[in-house]
Amino acid sequence: MSARGGLAVRGADRIAGAGLLALGVAFSAGALRYYDYWGPNGPGPAFLPFWLGLIMAVLAALLLVKAIRAADPGEDWLPRGDALRRLVLVLGATIALVALLEVVGMIVGTVLFLVGVIRFLDRHPWPLTIAVALAVAGVNFLVFTYWLHVPLPVGVLGF
Amino acid sequence: MDFLANLAMGFSVALTPFNLLMATCGVVLGILIGALPGVGPPSGVALLLPLTFGMDPTSGIIMLAALYAGTMYGGTITSVLINTPGESASVVTCIDGYQMALQGRAGAALGIAAFGSFIAGTFGVVLLMLVSPALARWSLAFGPPETFALMLLGLTTVTLLTGESAVKGYISMVLGLMIAMVGFDIISGDARYALGVPELMDGIDFLPVAIGLFGLGEVLAGAEEARLGAMVPGRFGFRDVMPSANDWLRSRWAIVRGTILGFFIGVLPGAGPTISTFFSYAVEKRVSRRPEEFGHGAIEGVAGPESANNAAATGAMVPMLTLGIPGSATTAIMLGGLMMWGLRPGPLLFEKNPQFVWGLIASQYIANVMLLVLSTAFIPLFVRALRVPFGILMPIIIIFCVTGAYSLKNSVFDVGQMLVFGVLGYAMKKLGYSPAALTLALVLGPLAERALRQSLIISDSGIAIFFLRPISAVLVVAALAAVAVPALRAVRNARRRRALALKA
Repeated sequence: MSARGGLAVRGADRIAGAGLLALGVAFSAGALRYYDYWGPNGPGPAFLPFWLGLIMAVLAALLLVKAIRAADPGEDWLPRGDALRRLVLVLGATIALVALLEVVGMIVGTVLFLVGVIRFLDRHPWPLTIAVALAVAGVNFLVFTYWLHVPLPVGVLGF
Repeated sequence: MDFLANLAMGFSVALTPFNLLMATCGVVLGILIGALPGVGPPSGVALLLPLTFGMDPTSGIIMLAALYAGTMYGGTITSVLINTPGESASVVTCIDGYQMALQGRAGAALGIAAFGSFIAGTFGVVLLMLVSPALARWSLAFGPPETFALMLLGLTTVTLLTGESAVKGYISMVLGLMIAMVGFDIISGDARYALGVPELMDGIDFLPVAIGLFGLGEVLAGAEEARLGAMVPGRFGFRDVMPSANDWLRSRWAIVRGTILGFFIGVLPGAGPTISTFFSYAVEKRVSRRPEEFGHGAIEGVAGPESANNAAATGAMVPMLTLGIPGSATTAIMLGGLMMWGLRPGPLLFEKNPQFVWGLIASQYIANVMLLVLSTAFIPLFVRALRVPFGILMPIIIIFCVTGAYSLKNSVFDVGQMLVFGVLGYAMKKLGYSPAALTLALVLGPLAERALRQSLIISDSGIAIFFLRPISAVLVVAALAAVAVPALRAVRNARRRRALALKA
């Protein structure tokens, strides 16, 4: 039940409605400001973006009004407790992986990511964790580098 | 006959060892992806698309189409044994399939689904083969106004059918179109909305977006749940899976109706396998002489929808191949793949790339046979895969998302983009928006804009051109109806609520 700010659907709708309304207006205004609405022989590059921005603004306004007038805060959309811990752990590890991709490289990154998530999400035993991490990193490397000839990101160590 | 020669040529393409291997991989991976809750057909196609770049496009589409067919069956396993749909086209199968499993008839439920899928899939390919060339020939006469009208219809119907609320559905679609506007404008050369970022000047590629929304986004949504529900034990020997004479007797018309219904719903732009299963279930319940058994393990309630979703998955290929208009998120991603391979989907595909089209058609016959064999003989193996803990599978899927997004252009920027859309996909899913509508809009956006601008250039009556040409008029009116219906419903509901409030 309970609902604090953006945690409930209604709050999220208000934030999204306001944000998308601003986005729509900015999109339309930007189109008219920087590009031509009408070209030499027909609609120009600003034509469709202008209307899209306007339609978005109208839809967002509808969403916003509905969310402001709604009496029921709606259910929580973000999880709590253990579910939240799991979400944060997985998302945090993914962000770290992407941010460090060019520092540690794909192979080391894959192993570290998998060991971290598999071990700390559900406390799977170490041998299983390490075996899975090495196997996935190896298969991924073989498939992309040798079969598909796609070089994977290389770290500062050169692999 | 021309047509038999084409089919023979198709088989000569599909039966090469490599293409057979790709079809097998597609079916096996499809069953696994379908069986895993959280990742469905669009995720599977998005994740496997990067693997196809090094291949001949024909092998690529053979794998993806086989995967699509496999997912339709894979979802059934989870629905029947765990009462959790593996993907959205198997939601209704939970109702009677799980009841059958509780009564010890899990094998029969999976068996009839396998046979229904085979019959429906094969018959669907026959229809695909007969309908597509004619449709492609007819649509050769389409000019820009008809093309635009058709895209508009595809966009509005997908939005109507996938979002939880109409407003959020349309917001998703318009957001997708806005994202499609980023990058060089083909006519004027302006780098629109690039904000000075060089990576954005070429536009936002749909692949990192699709992998983000359907791969990472779905995994994040699944991350919250620690594990799957308990699995009902079942026996899956040959005898358990073979439907009995009585099962056949009860299911045969359900399979026939499901096949026909499924195929035509699949062909409609916007309505895909999921919608077809709900229709089929409703029809079976209505025509049954034992409607009271529905919900308590009626085999028709499994046979009908499971046939319908396979027929619909095949039917959904028709508009994608012949018109270049995908009818669902999955075919939207396939269409994006076709364009990346350098093919131009649409009426000319049948003339210019007969090997591709007929190879695909022939491989679909083969994939259906493989699906039948795998889904009757190897059920225990797939059930075993369901026992792999989600906490291990999930991070592995994330690694595939990262590698897949990177592999398109060897760009870490794309990986970052995938991550952003993954978080967006999670929020959209939780808040009732429609990632499917966004993806479809992103793929169709540039094509729709070109068609719109060309139409207005050739028009001397402004936007009236869309109403003056008969085909485009019908399509535009249908698209407007898809917008108007939820709007009118909302107004009526608001009035009713106000009336109630006055009384109280």
